[in-house]
Amino acid sequence: MSEQVLNQQEVLLQQENAVAQGETLLKVENLCQYFKLGHSTLKAVNNVNFEVKKGEVFGLVGESGCGKTTTGRSIIKLYNCTSGNVYFGGKRICAGTGAYKETKKAAFNAMVEALKAKGDDKPDFKAEVAKYLAVAKEENAKIKSAKHDHNKCDKEYAKEHVAAVKAEYLPKLKAMDKKDPEYKALLFKYLKEYRLARKERLVTKIQMVFQDPIASLDPRMTVKEIIAEGLIIKGIRDKEVLEEKVYEVLEKVGLVKEHAGRYPHEFSGGQRQRIGVARSIIMKPELIIADEPVSALDVSIQAQVINLLNDLRHELGLTILFIAHDLSVVKYFSDRIAVMYFGNMVELTTSEELFKNPLHPYTKSLLSAIPLPDPIYEKKRERIVYNPLADHDYTVDKPSFREVAPGHFVSCNDAEFKKYQEILANK
Amino acid sequence: MEKKLEVKNLRISFRTDAGKVQAVRGIDFDLYKGETLAIVGESGSGKSVTNKAIIGISAVNAIIESGEILYDGMDLLQITEDDFHKLRGDKIAMIFQDPLSALDPINRIGMQLTEAMILKNRAARREARTVFNRTIKILCNAMNGAMGVDANSEQGKINKQKITDFNTFEKLHLKLESAYNNAHTNATLAIENIEDLLFHIEKKAVSDFRTEKATILRQSKKSVHEYVCRDAVVALADKFNKASEGCTRAKDYTPCVEPLKALLAELKAGVAKVSPNYFALAYFHTFGKEELPKLPNTEELNVFLRKYLDDNFMLAFIEDEKKGLAYSRQCSLDKKAEALDLINSMRSILCDRGLDKKAYKDVAKVLTNAVNASIDKLALVKDSTSYTFKTSINRAIDTYFSAGPSNEKEEKRFAKEKAKYDKIIARGKTPDYSVIPAKIVDVDMAHANILHVVDKIAESFKTAIENKDVYDVDKESVAMIDFLKEKAQAVAYRVTKSVAKSKALKLMEEVGIPEPKKRYRQYPFQFSGGMRQRIVIAIALAANPDILICDEPTTALDVTIQAQILELINKIKRERNLSIIFITHDLGVVANMADRIAVMYAGKIVESGTAEDIFYSPAHPYTWALLSSMPDLDTNEKLEAIPGTPPNMIYPPKGDAFAARNKYAMKIDFEMQPPMFKISDTHSAATWLLHPDAPKVEIPRAVSARIERMRVVNGIDSENNTNEGGEN
Repeated sequence: MSEQVLNQQEVLLQQENAVAQGETLLKVENLCQYFKLGHSTLKAVNNVNFEVKKGEVFGLVGESGCGKTTTGRSIIKLYNCTSGNVYFGGKRICAGTGAYKETKKAAFNAMVEALKAKGDDKPDFKAEVAKYLAVAKEENAKIKSAKHDHNKCDKEYAKEHVAAVKAEYLPKLKAMDKKDPEYKALLFKYLKEYRLARKERLVTKIQMVFQDPIASLDPRMTVKEIIAEGLIIKGIRDKEVLEEKVYEVLEKVGLVKEHAGRYPHEFSGGQRQRIGVARSIIMKPELIIADEPVSALDVSIQAQVINLLNDLRHELGLTILFIAHDLSVVKYFSDRIAVMYFGNMVELTTSEELFKNPLHPYTKSLLSAIPLPDPIYEKKRERIVYNPLADHDYTVDKPSFREVAPGHFVSCNDAEFKKYQEILANK
Repeated sequence: MEKKLEVKNLRISFRTDAGKVQAVRGIDFDLYKGETLAIVGESGSGKSVTNKAIIGISAVNAIIESGEILYDGMDLLQITEDDFHKLRGDKIAMIFQDPLSALDPINRIGMQLTEAMILKNRAARREARTVFNRTIKILCNAMNGAMGVDANSEQGKINKQKITDFNTFEKLHLKLESAYNNAHTNATLAIENIEDLLFHIEKKAVSDFRTEKATILRQSKKSVHEYVCRDAVVALADKFNKASEGCTRAKDYTPCVEPLKALLAELKAGVAKVSPNYFALAYFHTFGKEELPKLPNTEELNVFLRKYLDDNFMLAFIEDEKKGLAYSRQCSLDKKAEALDLINSMRSILCDRGLDKKAYKDVAKVLTNAVNASIDKLALVKDSTSYTFKTSINRAIDTYFSAGPSNEKEEKRFAKEKAKYDKIIARGKTPDYSVIPAKIVDVDMAHANILHVVDKIAESFKTAIENKDVYDVDKESVAMIDFLKEKAQAVAYRVTKSVAKSKALKLMEEVGIPEPKKRYRQYPFQFSGGMRQRIVIAIALAANPDILICDEPTTALDVTIQAQILELINKIKRERNLSIIFITHDLGVVANMADRIAVMYAGKIVESGTAEDIFYSPAHPYTWALLSSMPDLDTNEKLEAIPGTPPNMIYPPKGDAFAARNKYAMKIDFEMQPPMFKISDTHSAATWLLHPDAPKVEIPRAVSARIERMRVVNGIDSENNTNEGGEN
């Protein structure tokens, strides 16, 4: 018991250190996710940049359809992203080729334009083509590497593990005599480890908790089957080990052993969401993407699930990407919050700062819409309406994502940048 | 305030394989005109079941065990499905929780939005026409009666002529006003569209210029009317049309700005004009001998018309109408006195329990005829006791006779189950269920119910006769004419396809759907969940109902859209004096919307009061638990979740249903159900903690701290409002 407490304290210490040191676990770089809609394209996520530090809860808020769920799903590779990179623990796990293709196309168009020119400054045909080919070669290399990383990162990861296992066991086996009675045991152990190592996947370190606990659990599987499915795919065949692990996580999420044999429909909404959480933490993930885990639940049950996630976070040292639209919950739960609007990130800062000094007009409008359990205040509350056309003048100067104050990022153009800095300085 | 809806002692259960689930266990509430009543509680507390009963869509296995839902002189639990068809969606509308199943997958969104508007408008016009004609006829008869003449006599014919005249020029009034309405609506719509377009041109964000231009041109041309916009509008519209040529190709719309502004000014001037008094104008056109004099403006014209109408027709008509109304009321009172005598004499027959069902039914028939005859059909506020008398008494008699002294089948079942139950107890175990008693209706109570119905009507008649002097005939006659005019206007208000479309687009914009023109032609599967929910809300609001039931309408939506939709519902409530029942578990939303709140738990209302009562001085432990389990922006400590789950309603607990999850539960909570303790005139709660003998308990710290914060924010003195704990 005391050992456990010690362990927990250690974990907590590590976690605090990690947050203090600012160790980056997840880095999203220029992520774009477009969907084709007949003739047009829908820019669901457009040039999003952020970093998630180890051990923190990163909240992602915005109205429905603004691309927060799509961002989550692109990170976990449920979609193939259009362009941009996602780094997890320093390794590139997602890479889109869209941006490189665009550059190539632009270079090609420039060449065609140049060749069309007639008269005195007749272009040098060979030079133009060579210029284009140089660009194309460079971009092609980038595309190749991106495709490789996107598709093969898991296999590379597995290869690393296999190599480690081989390095550990093969010398020992070679040194041993084949008739040695221990040789066989070691060989079996080696084979088992080898098999498991081959099935290691980097992406399983990221797990997802879905919004709707009814739709995300297979009605024909028992709770045990649902929770253990990930481990079975990973290659663990020993039934006793599986059972033990399932009971362990069930206990962790506040359910009991007896629940393992039941089906999802026999549970209440809060318990179902607990099963969803158990399914994700059994894989020992480093990052959990919680996609609106409490939106579909009753108030009293919401509190249960939030408390559970909070406890697990401290106990297991998890990093959580928390996607939600209930700002009171996000404020309560997150360390840093990013606000999204129509595929773009408009503001990113710590949760206290966001609620104290909101800068972007959309954030202001979002904060003014939070309903509070106070009838007198509610009757007086005035909602700020955000109209992008009226609030910004982007006809000349286009906005970009800039750091207004340390750790406080806002999407703005030059004029607004100055304005925001003045606002912050005056406070 | 006028009561719109009364729910009395409603009990609903569900037959299931496992047994009878008691979903609603005797709840009472009233809904007043123009107020929002919020029902709060966990899922499974019976909120939705209650409201499904109100709108008449209870599940197939639901049993309505007792109770009344009174609306507009009808008991909604008794009326037929055909009658319900006329109410549902029209008078009582509902916004459903699940938007996926509420939309038709094979029709375009636009069609689904406008369908209700067009159909409902047609039905409303038809109904208004019937009510108008019927009322006119009754009024004519009453006028004849008041003068004591036969319908065929000289005076009777004059009366009839008057009514016919009224009817004739009222019809012309409708025609004229309808044309005016049409032009006015088009002008208003054109103004909005032009303003939008100007804004977009200024911001260089014009998306679909060609359609917008076409719409503006069409609407401007349709807005030409004698009393709205002159022909100048058409010329200006043509100017705009010419100026805009070539703009689309050049992507430069600046040449359009000037003509658009001129058009806008002209339209605005047209809309701002006073509308003529069509009621009087129609009379003038129908019966006036001379030409309409040329007057400089509409105000003077109105004065002239009004005078003309009063001199020639209205004053005399009102005089007669007053006589008619007074006569009708006097008749009704006389009939009521007769009926009261009849009731008093017949009551002794009903007291005799030896008679058979036929005798009872005969008495009921006589009484029903007497009561129906005594209804004053010209009274605008309906007397629901008289109107529901027939159904109530018949039902009470049916229950009494269907009960009978013995029900063998039920008794057998009970004996068998009881024996089994006793056996288990004899073995020394405690069974986890209780035996449902034999369903033998309490015969004494059923009989008392019959007498109660009769006594109730006698009581109401007595008060009516005692208060016969309290009657303002002038006020009533004005109200009557207003009623007739209102009905006539409802006939004149015509929604055509194009009007419906522009209304639908407006509504879609209001509920926050971007690019409504494009979305209008799409199918439901092309919408996201939040969008579909907004469409469902738009459809419910388009129907312009009397009572709106919102079953967790914004639970799946994000804050901005939620705020937008709540604002929209509030705005519509103010404009149309709508009564709303709002079901939700989000207390923030409740604080925004509700005038009064009822907290439900396990099929009962455990606390009810105004919004201030519930949020500033909650009294029930369940309310405390709900409040403390919800984070707000200042919460830092661990949330206090409510432990456990709601009780199984097949075997509802004996005492307070919340006792098992309640950390303040006392011994008595497990043994007896607490009654409703009254805290103030508006606030009451069902918990033993309010009993004078109960110990004083502190409200949980999370809740009291929040209340303190709220008081500071709103600047309320904290000492004035203390009624927590054991005070009664």
